[in-house]
Amino acid sequence: MSAPEEESRDTETVLACGEVRTCLLPTRDAVDEQVAERLLRLRADERVRLSRRPNRHAVSPDILTGVDCRLPTAGGAKIRAVGTVTARAALVEGRVLQATAHFAAPADGPDRRQPWGYYLVRPGVLVPVGRLARQAVVKGFLTGQQQDELDVGSVAESLLARISRQHRLLDYDTPLNTTDTSLRWAALPAADGEPAAPHFTVADDGRRVVELRLPRGTSPAAAATLCEDLALHDWLLTTVADKLDGLRLGSADGRAALKVLRPLVDHLLHLWMPQARVDRTLNALWQELEETPGFSRQWTSLAQRIRDQLAVQLLTRSDALTAS
Amino acid sequence: MFAASDKGGTGRSVTSANLAYHRALDGDDVCYLDFDFGSPTAAAVFDLPDVLSEAEGRGLHSYLKGKTGEPLRVDVWSRTEHPVLRSRPGGSGRLVLLPGDRTGGEFVTDEENLHRCVDLVLRLKREFDVIIVDLSAGRSYAMDLALAATSPRGGLGRLKTRWLVYHRWTRQHVMAAAELVYGKQGIVQAGVAMGHETDALSASIRFVRAAVPNLDSPMWSQVSAAQYAWMRQCDTQLEEIAAARGIGKTRVLSSIPLEPVLQWQERLITDEDVHDRRIANVETWQKMGELAQRLTEDKHWGQL
Repeated sequence: MSAPEEESRDTETVLACGEVRTCLLPTRDAVDEQVAERLLRLRADERVRLSRRPNRHAVSPDILTGVDCRLPTAGGAKIRAVGTVTARAALVEGRVLQATAHFAAPADGPDRRQPWGYYLVRPGVLVPVGRLARQAVVKGFLTGQQQDELDVGSVAESLLARISRQHRLLDYDTPLNTTDTSLRWAALPAADGEPAAPHFTVADDGRRVVELRLPRGTSPAAAATLCEDLALHDWLLTTVADKLDGLRLGSADGRAALKVLRPLVDHLLHLWMPQARVDRTLNALWQELEETPGFSRQWTSLAQRIRDQLAVQLLTRSDALTAS
Repeated sequence: MFAASDKGGTGRSVTSANLAYHRALDGDDVCYLDFDFGSPTAAAVFDLPDVLSEAEGRGLHSYLKGKTGEPLRVDVWSRTEHPVLRSRPGGSGRLVLLPGDRTGGEFVTDEENLHRCVDLVLRLKREFDVIIVDLSAGRSYAMDLALAATSPRGGLGRLKTRWLVYHRWTRQHVMAAAELVYGKQGIVQAGVAMGHETDALSASIRFVRAAVPNLDSPMWSQVSAAQYAWMRQCDTQLEEIAAARGIGKTRVLSSIPLEPVLQWQERLITDEDVHDRRIANVETWQKMGELAQRLTEDKHWGQL
């Protein structure tokens, strides 16, 4: 009886970290389910998961990447970790592509490096050689890695690149220019009675940083899904706000404005759907973000502004027509 | 857009940078990749003195070699020390430089470099309207990389690609430019060997004549009648040589006049240089703008 118990003890993870990269799929129009399935079929032995409610969503099988390197740490502590990083890609409504790479880590591991077999039975787990200084890793991870330290962002990026390279399925003729975003997250279990408040900040280089306290027993995959959802909605807000920021309304016939507004209506406005797939136990976290900074509030205001602008353009045009 | 030239000193980098600047002024999001392995100059043209040292180990060479996951990006509007550029005009697009490493040098390219190059361009394509890649002079590894990447099986085959070949308006340069494109070791032959179709590839190549003396401009009004006649004759002869080698007027996208400011300094010519300070010629400004426009006007491209 003792063997399984010990097994479960040393695989209990106390930390989950990851990075999400979000971008527009490089095609003129959103792709259908069939193309989505072909784009995300990254492994022959596992299927792409497709769902249609409440929106169209496709998720690739998990891809494991073996690593044996130092974890980023604040304060220069050297922690070597060995194991696998899990990565997957998702396509929302055939339009927005996301790649996530994440790992979980137990509080301590064997003092010596084990053979690969030991790590391979723990997919998505990085086992430290010795003890894990949790706080130092969270801080180091969120501030960014140094040379020769683990870079999960590049694992996510390489997945995006791999999908973007499928030129038989993609036309690379996007209807609008958008900037990719990266969101880096770290989650620790919440202490008893501690509120599950997320910390959402934007670093100088544009990287989004989220620090989470999650209810005990939350799986790393559920945390990753939450962060994908966050990243998607943050990307939508950023993209639409950027476009409206540079909008020139002064031009005579409003054609310049229409050129900017039209693709937003055609491709992005319908994608807003917070918590579509987030685990119910994590609802409270989203609620916090709705309070401050108020994701949906800002979105509603932006969407309203776009619709108002379009209505004004229409009026101006019909006025001009009547006058002539 | 790939910028190539037959030799050094043709104003390839400086004209391409001005082209990028004009496109950004017109509202396009533009990024400029300094692939001039060996002598990266773009940072100087955009007036970014700190970038050279910053790019050490983080520039395009390091990225292509796999030493860094992401190459350094520099926002020109916010980082430049150029007084006019610092105030970004309303309605302008983004202008981003991806610098090369100072100590990069030429290197032999392999499959992995190719993949990295393709991934980078596909990624930039999502963000930018125009991607300008400044290649080194002559046939270079960078050019082979570009040809391989844009070939039908290279990964960038479905992107609209255009090549500009810069040359000066002298007999040697005209012949060298023709050789660079149509010669045995030229771009077309090399491209075909990598899977390009001859017609499609040559339809995507145009020439830019740089530092062309405009004999009717005031700059030459003081020359003697004999000198004038001789220059006219040279000009006509050059036109004949160019036509005979397949780089006559129909293949020229634009001729950039000889500009004294550029003779002294590799820099961007701004509206202010032309109209307020009056140090640069208005023709130069107009021609740079014309070149920037024609880059994406289909009627100037295609099969002749």
